[in-house]
Amino acid sequence: MRTRGDSRESAWKVIAGREINVRIRDKAYLGATAFLLVALIVGIVLSSVLGGRPESFRLGVVDDAGAHIAESAQEVLRSQSDTEDVVEAVDLDSVDDAEGAVTGESVDAALVPVQGGYELLGDRELDSSLSSAVATAVASTVTAANAEDEGVDLASLSQGATVDERLLDEDAEDAGLKDAVAFGFAILFLFTALGFGMTIAQSVVQEKESRVVEILAAAVPVRQMLWGKIIGNTLLALIQIVLLVLVGAVGLAVTGRGDVLGGLGLAALWYVLLFVLGFLALASLWTVAGSLATSQEDLQSTTLPGQVLLFGPYFVAVFAGDSVQEVVSMLPIVSTMIMPGRIAQGEAPLWQIAVAVLATVIAALLLIRLGARLYERTLLQTSRRLTYREALRLPPE
Amino acid sequence: MLSVKNLTRRFGDIVAVDDISFDVVPGRLTGFVGGNGAGKTTTMRIIVGVLAASDGEVLWDGAPLREDLRRSFGYMPEERGLYPKMRVVDQLVFFAQLHGGSAADGRRRAHELLERFGLEDRSSHVLQTLSLGNQQRVQIAAALIHRPPALILDEPFSGLDPMAVDSMAGLLGEVDADVPILFSSHQLDLVERLCDDLVILAEGEIAAHGAPDEMRRRGPSRYRVVLADDAEAGWLRQERGLVVTDVAGATALFEVDDADAPALLRRISDRAPVQEFSRVVPRLSEVYAEVVA
Repeated sequence: MRTRGDSRESAWKVIAGREINVRIRDKAYLGATAFLLVALIVGIVLSSVLGGRPESFRLGVVDDAGAHIAESAQEVLRSQSDTEDVVEAVDLDSVDDAEGAVTGESVDAALVPVQGGYELLGDRELDSSLSSAVATAVASTVTAANAEDEGVDLASLSQGATVDERLLDEDAEDAGLKDAVAFGFAILFLFTALGFGMTIAQSVVQEKESRVVEILAAAVPVRQMLWGKIIGNTLLALIQIVLLVLVGAVGLAVTGRGDVLGGLGLAALWYVLLFVLGFLALASLWTVAGSLATSQEDLQSTTLPGQVLLFGPYFVAVFAGDSVQEVVSMLPIVSTMIMPGRIAQGEAPLWQIAVAVLATVIAALLLIRLGARLYERTLLQTSRRLTYREALRLPPE
Repeated sequence: MLSVKNLTRRFGDIVAVDDISFDVVPGRLTGFVGGNGAGKTTTMRIIVGVLAASDGEVLWDGAPLREDLRRSFGYMPEERGLYPKMRVVDQLVFFAQLHGGSAADGRRRAHELLERFGLEDRSSHVLQTLSLGNQQRVQIAAALIHRPPALILDEPFSGLDPMAVDSMAGLLGEVDADVPILFSSHQLDLVERLCDDLVILAEGEIAAHGAPDEMRRRGPSRYRVVLADDAEAGWLRQERGLVVTDVAGATALFEVDDADAPALLRRISDRAPVQEFSRVVPRLSEVYAEVVA
């Protein structure tokens, strides 16, 4: 087993393998991943249950005209919501009975004739969609009856007085969902990058605390250690993000929202790419945060630059106006948070996506160079916590 | 053969290691002795490459030590360290793989070493649940796991109980004859018992270097005479051809050339009956105290 020529070239694989092995057996990691998946599934199910469910109303009526209006109100509701809403007419004997049924909650509302029209009775509140549907139904039913009484041809009277709506954006109906997904992309990157960033920093400082770092540094080049940590944790983060994206896609398909996947699928692919690049750009900073520290407590201050680089773009992503977002979505880190959302909303031209990818690649290369330099110089300094400024001034060992 | 040539390391204005040169010969155990701050750890860290030399170099068979060879040295640092939450056997396999070995080979070798150290039943335990002495044995196993071409062990015996010291010493004795072994220690009796060569470091410089036996016999020979019948030996101070270092009643210690010793014995016994006349070889601790003083 004496040293072979390839041992140093593949040391990073062994280190990355250890990072992954340790993590996938770590209950905290498994718990956090499971929590994210469950939260995502619950979110999709809830939005489907609350958003697309047909509504059903019981409407108390006291005469045949009321029953006819209830039928007409059901038509109105169905035409508005695209779902199989039901307005069931419940025959009641008198206005007193109707009031009793409403307060006794055996009906949702009751329609009773009053002088010069109708009154819609509710207990404490009236469902607004029901009340507007009933109002429309009453208006059209009564108007039609009046027209017949007066001998007016209603059809010719109302000819040309309709307004139809047509939206030019094919995906317009999904705009709300896409806004939510865009926000989800940003917050998912924030927490995943932060979580795995802290994991990298902790993993480095643990090796310093336990002093195993000196044996490692004697056995393999420090840069291999750096790459092993970065690649191992990037893979872990990638697995988590792909898992979430897949579960999200399957969830949408299962709950009947598969139609929006077409627009989102492309955005999700770009998201995974930008995620990996954005994560890589920051990864070396997290290793340095670990190598500057001498104990877990030191991480609070040494991880600050990494945290700022994540929270800053996040607040820009959430609060900035559209024109600002368009520009900053091409910057590294910010791009991972904003660009996929813009792609999902169909607002990002290809050249802007290309600029974002290129800028992130360049940032990743520069930061990894800087990170490797600082990591090499600070990894074996175990006497006290160093600052970034001190680390930059250290001579190479 | 591993050699250190004109090695110097400065930390700012402090010279931790000052132009030292010595060889670590394969098949011979080389002990590295010196007080705290003498430069032992600094020298060893330079040899394994975690510290750079300010000047001088490390040689292998007379040529500059190649990087890949240096990386494969078995190293046990002064500040012990492994992964506290990893299982013992996984840990050893990880180090075997880090040195380019296969997982299967590493596993086989790990069990072999653990059995040697009486830790076979702990192989699947998490390291931090082991006693400190046993963690130390795992540490040594980690240095040996990849059958290294050279061993650099910083205080390998510290923290070990006598039984473990013996099994460790036995193991070092069994390492391949072509493997140079350098180990540092504070325990002079142990060093004297175990090592074939000795390097004594004091304030960053080599105070003495050689086989312990030869080192003890170096310098003027010392003899002891005990006169019969408790006769006072003080008069020896006036004799020529010897330097008396100590007199106590009938006993005197003195330095004299070996060649002159028989004649001196005759002269003394002419004046007084001699009960004992013997060559005194100083203990290593005395030699050490003398050279680092």
